[in-house]
Amino acid sequence: MRMKALTSWVFMAIVLSACGRNASTPTVDRYDISKMDLKPTPAVLSTERHTGPFAIGASLNMTAELKPLDPSPVKEIRLDTTHKVIDIAPGIKFSAWTFGDQVPGPTVRARVGDKIRFSMTNRSDETVPGIQVMQAPMMHSMDFHAAMVSPQDKYRSVAPGQTISFEFTLNYPGVFMYHCGTPMILEHIASGMYGAVIVEPREGYPTKASREYVVIQSEFYAKPDPDKRKIDGAPLYVLDGDSLRKATPNYTVFNGSHNGMVNNPLPAKTGERVRLFVLNVGPSKTSSFHVVGTIFDRVWMDGNPDNQFRGMQTVLLGSSNSAIVEFLIPEDGSYIMVDHHFANASQGAIGLVSTSAKPLAKDLEHHNMAATASPTDPDSVMGKQAFESKCLACHSIGQGKKVGPDLSGVTSRRSDDWLSRWLKSPDKMLQTDADAKAMLKEYNNVPMPNQNLSDAEITQYVKYFHWVDAQPAGKATATENH
Amino acid sequence: MALAFSDMNALACGFCIEDKIAAVYDHAVVSTALTHKHQVAFFALAGEVATGTNSRREIEAVGNATPGVDKGSVRVSLEAATLSLAYDPVRTSFASLEDALSRKLAARRISVAILRIMDRPAELKSVTQR
Repeated sequence: MRMKALTSWVFMAIVLSACGRNASTPTVDRYDISKMDLKPTPAVLSTERHTGPFAIGASLNMTAELKPLDPSPVKEIRLDTTHKVIDIAPGIKFSAWTFGDQVPGPTVRARVGDKIRFSMTNRSDETVPGIQVMQAPMMHSMDFHAAMVSPQDKYRSVAPGQTISFEFTLNYPGVFMYHCGTPMILEHIASGMYGAVIVEPREGYPTKASREYVVIQSEFYAKPDPDKRKIDGAPLYVLDGDSLRKATPNYTVFNGSHNGMVNNPLPAKTGERVRLFVLNVGPSKTSSFHVVGTIFDRVWMDGNPDNQFRGMQTVLLGSSNSAIVEFLIPEDGSYIMVDHHFANASQGAIGLVSTSAKPLAKDLEHHNMAATASPTDPDSVMGKQAFESKCLACHSIGQGKKVGPDLSGVTSRRSDDWLSRWLKSPDKMLQTDADAKAMLKEYNNVPMPNQNLSDAEITQYVKYFHWVDAQPAGKATATENH
Repeated sequence: MALAFSDMNALACGFCIEDKIAAVYDHAVVSTALTHKHQVAFFALAGEVATGTNSRREIEAVGNATPGVDKGSVRVSLEAATLSLAYDPVRTSFASLEDALSRKLAARRISVAILRIMDRPAELKSVTQR
């Protein structure tokens, strides 16, 4: 009898144990390779040129605000390549290369199991209406990180006027990058050829969000056009190959625009759950994505809910890494999206999720971030960059004395001639100039080192100082440029 | 044009034929050539490329001195090990052109292999497709 009872208990324990496992473990393997579509058809090349819109598809999202998922199991997508001038910051008109005629390219939204039927005409040889083509036409290609296909077939470069078409099935959920893969890839990405593909799990997300936005971080490496061309009276900027190779951008931005989502915050209401699809394009910098004032309730690395973290403050994203982050809006306010590498934030990687359509100026002063107004004159831009990379150890702009003087207001204290001579050879000035000698005494006899600046660099510094002094009090700051 | 045809280091896989072609694709050269019913040939280079003994300009000079080649049309990418040129098919056949270019570059320990030829806009053809 006792043996029978014991057997029953053991049997019950096994059944309960099995039930418990069934309750917590999915019975269906969502990553069953045998059920994935890994037999794409060959790409088709043609000389039939698309005309009309540069981007077409019900699953495409042209702005940060995402539309609900298009239920169609086959997504027809057209993303043509163009060359055009875009505004990456106030007064900074940059000669860009695009997918779908915008930077970043449109965001594709689909679901695991969906088929993407893609086509692209290289229209880099077309003049975009109203805007002169600034870069010579060239070959381009499309590399979808969301696809599992032969790169040699699907991602081949196509010449201006050629159209490539191919299709693939989405096998994994995530937030995937797409980009041009034509050499030099670094140039093509840095010129604006990238975007995101959101692939939802087949069964949808495990939470319900009130708002969904895509946030794409990227870098720009811009320099004034050597040919001094202008667009609408403003100087044209072109890709700076030297700073690109050194990975020293001068703009790091969300959704293609310096401080863009500060002026146009992403709306939300108190008590709502916000879901951000965050992609760091790079091409060369990591992002420490953070939202000031809240905590990420959920983080799904690379956009896959199976890769979940809870209660995170910051998510670290390498180039082409992504995450879905969700958080609650606890009370009215402007919640500040930043790259917590603050050198990047100071270059424009900042935005707001706000309960107010027009946030108060004081909301933007947190961490002095919105105060980072930027000059547009090429010399001043160069001067700002040089100052932020070389001078901040000893000087500040409007933050008070350090080892050396606060340089806010310096152009009203000193003449341009004096500043130029001082920057050229401070050692000589310290021997002959009374003001220089007095300054040395005031600053504990710590001399200004001779930086061996060229005349052009000195001009850039002086122009930058003038720009600083032309800003409203406290508006211009300088942040260390790593 | 210099903007489109910059002298940056190789920063991509460059594995695909089209990627190699992209490294030396110059739209102005292509447009001019096709307007005059000339053709543009894209070659892969192998051997002592990018060793310092054969600079890009030196290889371009060899290409430009090859009979039938449109002057100033040669583009070379050491990183992608590719060369492109425009030529007049009335003045020289492709076979003669290839032979002459091969002989000249062989003296520099460089071999060439044709990748694609463009004789119409937006059409990259293999030699057998022409």
